[in-house]
Amino acid sequence: MPLHLLELILFSTYAELRAERSRSYLGLVWWIAEPAMMMAAFWLVFDVILKSGGPDYLPFLLVGLTLWQWMKSCITHGGYAIWGNLGLIRQARLPVLVFPLSQMLADTIKFLCIFVLLLVILWCAGYPPSITYLALPLLFLVTLLFSAGAGFLVAAFVPFIPDLRFIIEQILTVVMFLSGVVFALDAVPSPLREVIALNPVATLLDGVRAILLHAQWPDWWALLKVGVISALVCATGIGCVLRFSPRYPKLAV
Amino acid sequence: MDSPLIELRNVGVAFSAQRRFGSGKFWALEDVTLNLRHGERLGVIGRNGAGKSTLLRVLAGILQPDRGTVKRAAVTCQLLSLALGFTPYLSGRDNAILSGLMLGLRRREIESRLPSIQEFSELGDFFEQPIATYSAGMVVRLGFSVAIQVEPDVLLIDEVLAVGDAEFQVKSGEALRERMRQGQTVVLVSHDESQVSALCDRLLWIEHGKSVLEGSRDEVFEAYHRQLHLAGTGA
Repeated sequence: MPLHLLELILFSTYAELRAERSRSYLGLVWWIAEPAMMMAAFWLVFDVILKSGGPDYLPFLLVGLTLWQWMKSCITHGGYAIWGNLGLIRQARLPVLVFPLSQMLADTIKFLCIFVLLLVILWCAGYPPSITYLALPLLFLVTLLFSAGAGFLVAAFVPFIPDLRFIIEQILTVVMFLSGVVFALDAVPSPLREVIALNPVATLLDGVRAILLHAQWPDWWALLKVGVISALVCATGIGCVLRFSPRYPKLAV
Repeated sequence: MDSPLIELRNVGVAFSAQRRFGSGKFWALEDVTLNLRHGERLGVIGRNGAGKSTLLRVLAGILQPDRGTVKRAAVTCQLLSLALGFTPYLSGRDNAILSGLMLGLRRREIESRLPSIQEFSELGDFFEQPIATYSAGMVVRLGFSVAIQVEPDVLLIDEVLAVGDAEFQVKSGEALRERMRQGQTVVLVSHDESQVSALCDRLLWIEHGKSVLEGSRDEVFEAYHRQLHLAGTGA
């Protein structure tokens, strides 16, 4: 990648984070407050009212939602980035991949900040660090690869069919429930459980939870499979964006 | 004579008419041929909807032609775009950097030009404030000050000749004319015939997406006016 594009991506990322801070009164406080409110809602429904949470429900939920929030942001923010910048794309010769990439990078930096806070909370709650933390970067890499891939796929098509946005929000909500973000998949009856386990998001969440909550190494074989799937999704996504990129400057804003 | 920097041959560009599957196409450019050589100042004239702006976007490399060929020497072409990528919540300084990067400058190139951008835009201390607090005129001044820093081999100008209030118009117009006097290769689209006539030595006349005539300024203007006159009298 030419250096000047790298500089553009990094500066756009900075601009995005900077703008996000100024857009609301509380600014960065929302990075924490938004997931915290969401967590409180799920805790209320699944643990307090339905009593289906189980003993470690809060840490379980906390890890799941933090990771899911990151994936979802990459998919939606990255996914709407080309569509949202069509005005710019009409005026300047820029590789369109710049737009989703800087959004995803901003979301990743945001996630890493929140994740540090999550670690502190877990340590205080009696889940000390372990040697298995060494596997976290690998899991994060695969997670990013998968979410970025999905984000690129969305980004490739939304400019042509903006209506997809309404569907994508709903699909992501369904995926969240089918991935063990808010309740453990062990509770799902057998034949269905195996089907759901094919979902890469579920495998990634399991892996991170095993490390953080049980000091266990992730299931390497499952991780390899998810890694291959993620790489394929990512390559397809980038391929679609590159293939359609001559058509974006012609679209009406 | 040296070989052309950019050569367009029978170029056509089609847009889809509506955001709908299987909607028809319309050809904003149908058949345009032109040669642009080093140091030339080429004006593009034609009535509204003739395809002048589309042509500039083809020259800039933003649009790929759907038919015909574009041959381009290893040169940079840049459309003079004001306020490209400006973000309301960022300071004038950050927006200048962002916009400069989008216009193809390197980070250190913009950083070194920030003092002259600040000076030319006459923003003073506002330079450090978010541009959401700017008046429209201030945004335009900042936009022009950044855009004029970019030094492409071929500068493409779409009507942006003088912007801002009366005083800044003189200043920005002068900065651009100075650039042209220094031998900058320019393609200029403008409705203002006196501007085109003062700044360009060659003209391309296009009508309904087709090139009608390319040649010296006087020759093309004469033919253009004759045709306008004929149309005016209903002949």
